[in-house]
Amino acid sequence: MADVQDGRTSSSCYLDGWGDALRCYRIAVGLDATAVELSVTVAPAVNDVGREPLYLLAGGPGQAASDLAPLLNAFRRINRERDIVMVDRRGAGHSAAFRCGFERDMPVDLQSFSRQLARCYLQQPQFAEALSSRQAVEDLELVRKTLAHERIALWGGSWGTRTALLYQQWYPDSLSALVLDAVAPIDTKVFLTATAAERAMQILERDCAGDAVCAGLGNWRGDLDQLLAGWNAEMAARFPDPVTGVPAAIPLPRWALANSIRAALYDPAAAAQLPYAIHQASRGNYLPLSGISGLFLNTADGMAMGLTFSVACAEELNRITAEDVVADSKGSFLGSAFYELFHSGCQGWPVTAKPYSVPESRAQPVLLISGEADPITPPYYAEQALAYLSRKQHLVVPGGGHINSRRGCIPELIARFLNAPESPLDQSCVAEIRRPPFMADAFGPALGGKLGGEPQGGGL
Amino acid sequence: MNTVNAIFTRQMSALLRKEFLEAWRDRRALWMAICFSLLFPVLLAGSTIFFVKKHAEESTRLALLGGEQVPVLAQQLRSDSLEVVIVNEGEPRALLADGYDLVLQVAEGFVDGYRNFRAPKLYLYVDSSSTSAGRAERHLQERLGGLQQLIVSQRLSARGVAPQLLAPWQLQVRDVSTPSSRGALILAMVPGLLILTLFVASLATSVDTSAGERERLSLETLLLQPLPGWQLISAKMLAVASMGWLGALLAIAALVALMPLMPLAELGIQQATTVAGVITMGLLLLPLAMLVAVVQILLALRSQSFKDAQTQLSILQLAPVTLLMVLDMSRVELGEPLWQLMPLVGQQQWLKALLVGDSVSLPLVVAGSLVCLGLVGLFVALGARALRRESLLGAL
Repeated sequence: MADVQDGRTSSSCYLDGWGDALRCYRIAVGLDATAVELSVTVAPAVNDVGREPLYLLAGGPGQAASDLAPLLNAFRRINRERDIVMVDRRGAGHSAAFRCGFERDMPVDLQSFSRQLARCYLQQPQFAEALSSRQAVEDLELVRKTLAHERIALWGGSWGTRTALLYQQWYPDSLSALVLDAVAPIDTKVFLTATAAERAMQILERDCAGDAVCAGLGNWRGDLDQLLAGWNAEMAARFPDPVTGVPAAIPLPRWALANSIRAALYDPAAAAQLPYAIHQASRGNYLPLSGISGLFLNTADGMAMGLTFSVACAEELNRITAEDVVADSKGSFLGSAFYELFHSGCQGWPVTAKPYSVPESRAQPVLLISGEADPITPPYYAEQALAYLSRKQHLVVPGGGHINSRRGCIPELIARFLNAPESPLDQSCVAEIRRPPFMADAFGPALGGKLGGEPQGGGL
Repeated sequence: MNTVNAIFTRQMSALLRKEFLEAWRDRRALWMAICFSLLFPVLLAGSTIFFVKKHAEESTRLALLGGEQVPVLAQQLRSDSLEVVIVNEGEPRALLADGYDLVLQVAEGFVDGYRNFRAPKLYLYVDSSSTSAGRAERHLQERLGGLQQLIVSQRLSARGVAPQLLAPWQLQVRDVSTPSSRGALILAMVPGLLILTLFVASLATSVDTSAGERERLSLETLLLQPLPGWQLISAKMLAVASMGWLGALLAIAALVALMPLMPLAELGIQQATTVAGVITMGLLLLPLAMLVAVVQILLALRSQSFKDAQTQLSILQLAPVTLLMVLDMSRVELGEPLWQLMPLVGQQQWLKALLVGDSVSLPLVVAGSLVCLGLVGLFVALGARALRRESLLGAL
């Protein structure tokens, strides 16, 4: 079922996570080795009243915009009067995903991971070299022109905020407003995550200490440090697989354990289980920790590793020095565990460095959204590294993790911002977003007992 | 050309003038037509606005009986749409009468039972005869379901089980409706109501021009004029149809004007009626207006008296709506081309399509309208024959 709209041929299509029909376009970009038919998906406005469309930019790098379709549920109100456009960038999703054969979880064996990556690079070196933020932005601009959108608004999540900020640098006139959730500023070395993760862990400690039940778990933070410091082959071999229930085929190395604990901090619901899980692990019961890692089994699904490494190696890893890594890892539970994965991967991924120039000042209205306890893009990134943006508002979700656009009143605030980007938002409702209840024991959260830290509202 | 000339003879135009003048001079009939035409668009818009407002704004008051033992439960249940009040003691029935929408009673020893995995009970008291009961239960289930999922997820994690083990597959629902076709749900009754408007708006005029004129004894004078019967009936039909058509046009205009006020987008519905669509709607109702008018006049002429005519036509106006409802319920495929040749059904189908911005097949509309006009011709001929019967005047 094809029809012609805006001079382009589109077909009716669907994306997982959203039930309504969408319009799909195919737009050819690149030449020879880098030629790709871009997949562009539009959720048409219920009532087209001529408002600028909102383009969604996905994270990673390596995630596809089409994976963001579930976000349409939260953006229903925005979608009433605006088209929402999802462009899968080259090498991701339906635009010739560059997966390198990694379909599911990240591997636990660093060496074989690097070898597989290196082989993958050699198969398509030109394609790998060409994948970059510059290419993604140029493609996006081409899509904007092709769809005849005069000006657009951008929503970026995580690494998508970097793409959005670069688009703003290079094509300021095409842009009306920016919504940046979990911002990765142009000058910030976001692959140095140890300090940010440590800070998120400390906020978790603070909130746990303020909760009567969680405080009862004692010094779980000390337990964590001991657990990581003393992690040995015997313990690694006993760590169970959350899907099969038996010990995994490959023993879990320390860096992978630290990374899976870091990953739990992304999502407040998973983080709420960490104190109990660590408490149990320090007593020899690894089941709860394994269960938490099971919460993230499907997240690597959408990542196109080839794209991830092309962009990360050329634009981030190249500007990180050994001293940076030492300074970032110092005093953190994570150490260099996250960095090592990318560092070793980039050894077999020899793309040329693609540095950015110093950002120039910009005046588009920008809405920044941060999770207070985000382990990779903490709120201070938004506060410290974006001085060149003259008109910005910042929402900080208390106890929030990575990406908060779907939580509480945030979708409503985004809709209001897009309709009146110049006026300051009433942010009071953000404070009402709470962490989920901490896990107290094997039965789950304590429903009885005292409430910690928070006033008992209602009819008491 | 002869026929055309005959229609525009001087006598005919004088006759037309007389009929239109009499029809439009009757203020009461005019006002009745206008009021009824505006009534249903206003009602439809009003009820939609009210429904969405109620849906979005109303919140539920829940009394958590025995809630002092489970403050975390109370805290987790609270939301913008669910107000949770912890009540130490009280009788559920009395609390429901006291302004609470729901009473959730926490069983004695709930916390112990919960900690020991004994699935303790929660009792939900609800007054299902109350209009708010369904909404209130939905509000509670939303929160309670979310909390339950969180607890199950934590319990599974605690035992090292990936929660995805509980989901052997993912069901992805794909809705093939379009934002404009979803409007058919709300606008479904509009075509029937527009057709009803035709009947109601022309009723008073058609009775007056036939049975009324007979009772005023002016019909006899009219019949003495050197005019063929078909011209007489046609003139009356046109005057009556003009009234019915005006009513329907007014209703369409009011509906289209009120649409932007209706919160359709909030229901995921696209406002898709186009200007061309509105004009088409008006035009395709014209043959039907003529058919309705001529049928009404014939029935009124056949009737015993003015009063009898009113009664008969009141019953007649229910016929189309009933017919359309029966056809709808019998799940007949009314979209079939053959059905669209049938007056009433055809117009209903076309209006339905045009309201949600779909296109209609022009040949079918023309063919259906011609069938309609053919029937008009037939009834005019029948009427002309009836006028020749003397008994017509004697009926009293």
